[in-house]
Amino acid sequence: MKMITLLWTMAVAGSLAAATQASEVDQLKSDLVGQCMGGREKCWKFQSVDQIKALTIQKKTEDSRKRVYTIALQLQAAKAGGKYSANARVEYTKAATGWKIKQVGLLSIRKVE
Amino acid sequence: MSLLLCACKSPKQPNLGEPLADLSRAERAQFEAGKKVFQRVFTPQDGLGPLFNANSCAQCHEDPVVGGVGDEIEIHATRFVAPNSCDPLFDQGGPVIQQNATPLLQAKGIMKEQIPPGATAQARRSTPPLFGFGLVDAIPEAAILSHERRHGAKGDGIAGHASRTIDGRVGRFGRKAAVAALLDFNAGAFPQEMGVTTPLSPVEETINGTPVPPDTDPAPDPEITVEDIEKVTAFTRFLAPPPGQILTNHTDQHLARRGRKLFVHLNCAVCHRPKMNTGPSTSKALHRKTVALYSDLMVHDMGSALADICLEQAHPSEFRTEMLMGLRFRGQFLHDGSAKTVQEAIERHDGEARNSRDRFKALKEKDKQALLKFLETI
Repeated sequence: MKMITLLWTMAVAGSLAAATQASEVDQLKSDLVGQCMGGREKCWKFQSVDQIKALTIQKKTEDSRKRVYTIALQLQAAKAGGKYSANARVEYTKAATGWKIKQVGLLSIRKVE
Repeated sequence: MSLLLCACKSPKQPNLGEPLADLSRAERAQFEAGKKVFQRVFTPQDGLGPLFNANSCAQCHEDPVVGGVGDEIEIHATRFVAPNSCDPLFDQGGPVIQQNATPLLQAKGIMKEQIPPGATAQARRSTPPLFGFGLVDAIPEAAILSHERRHGAKGDGIAGHASRTIDGRVGRFGRKAAVAALLDFNAGAFPQEMGVTTPLSPVEETINGTPVPPDTDPAPDPEITVEDIEKVTAFTRFLAPPPGQILTNHTDQHLARRGRKLFVHLNCAVCHRPKMNTGPSTSKALHRKTVALYSDLMVHDMGSALADICLEQAHPSEFRTEMLMGLRFRGQFLHDGSAKTVQEAIERHDGEARNSRDRFKALKEKDKQALLKFLETI
């Protein structure tokens, strides 16, 4: 009985963690729209969530005023030819209404297809 | 009646290097603050390098005034696989191959970046003048796209398509139209030309894909702020286009009028479109203005002799129509600065411009001089 309870608890906790992670990824995708990273030819302006084919959170740090994510992205724009793999640093600051995205820094990018 | 006579009657145009007319007091202050950042000379201690092309914006954009041209030539390299695949080689140090290194990096035996092994071509690029770039930035995408032409549509051999950036926006800046906006153009100049990291590009450019040795980079990243990028963007946004040349000699006026007609007659004006209009803007100085850029902002096939690198959707032989505004202030011509005169540049046009070039070459000498005189007024 104890074993079943333990397994059940682990399953629920896992589901909750996965849901939280998914929710956080969706929030990041949404917040990225309108942001620019990089510059010149090596520049990506996020124009829609559709351009983000995959987003993985690699690292997250947070204090009372600042939250920083390191993320991996798979990107593709509808009217452009290539697919790109990128790493980025996303910084949020604490505002009166909650966390607000401040800026996105392009750490690396390469064409994959 | 004519461009030249009209210019005499129009309100005073800003002199070369001055800001646009109609700026608010706040915008004027932004222009001046941005000019200071534009002229700031970086050292390794405050962010220069370790790899770089120049130590300030104004080192290259300097003639005849700040924001103008320079005699520096830089090197770009990319990989093209026919028929349509272009890799900018971001992960191998492309497309801008930095030509200088700071003393700390030189001490490691690295004097400059190398052409990446994956590159299929390299290119030489001259420094473009930045006059009027804010007005070009304010032209709506739809206005640019309206210039797209299919091959054979009008029987003149001229086609032309818009180029797209990697994120799908319509490109307008750069010789291959691979940059969409002035802010992007400036944000990339700091890391790629000066080796200065920014919050938008917070890590140093690599050495052909290898991170720079940490002990060669004494300045903490990012080395400038977003506010500095915005200041430089304000300077370039509000930098006025060059004033038109007003000819006082009657003979020259006559020649230039004749040349202007020939410019249209030879179909030069199909690609070097004399004017475009900006869209709505919160800045009165940029709101619904006409800009005499002499470009359609399309990329066109210029023939195999001029072909070099691909970039995004521009093939090796395709180049964005060069903006001719301020042509008379330049000392070298074509995208690589290899033409020493305007006439040489015209005569090296090919591809979609072949018919116009051949018609220019067939002109009587007096008519050639008329066209060249007109170009001296731009």
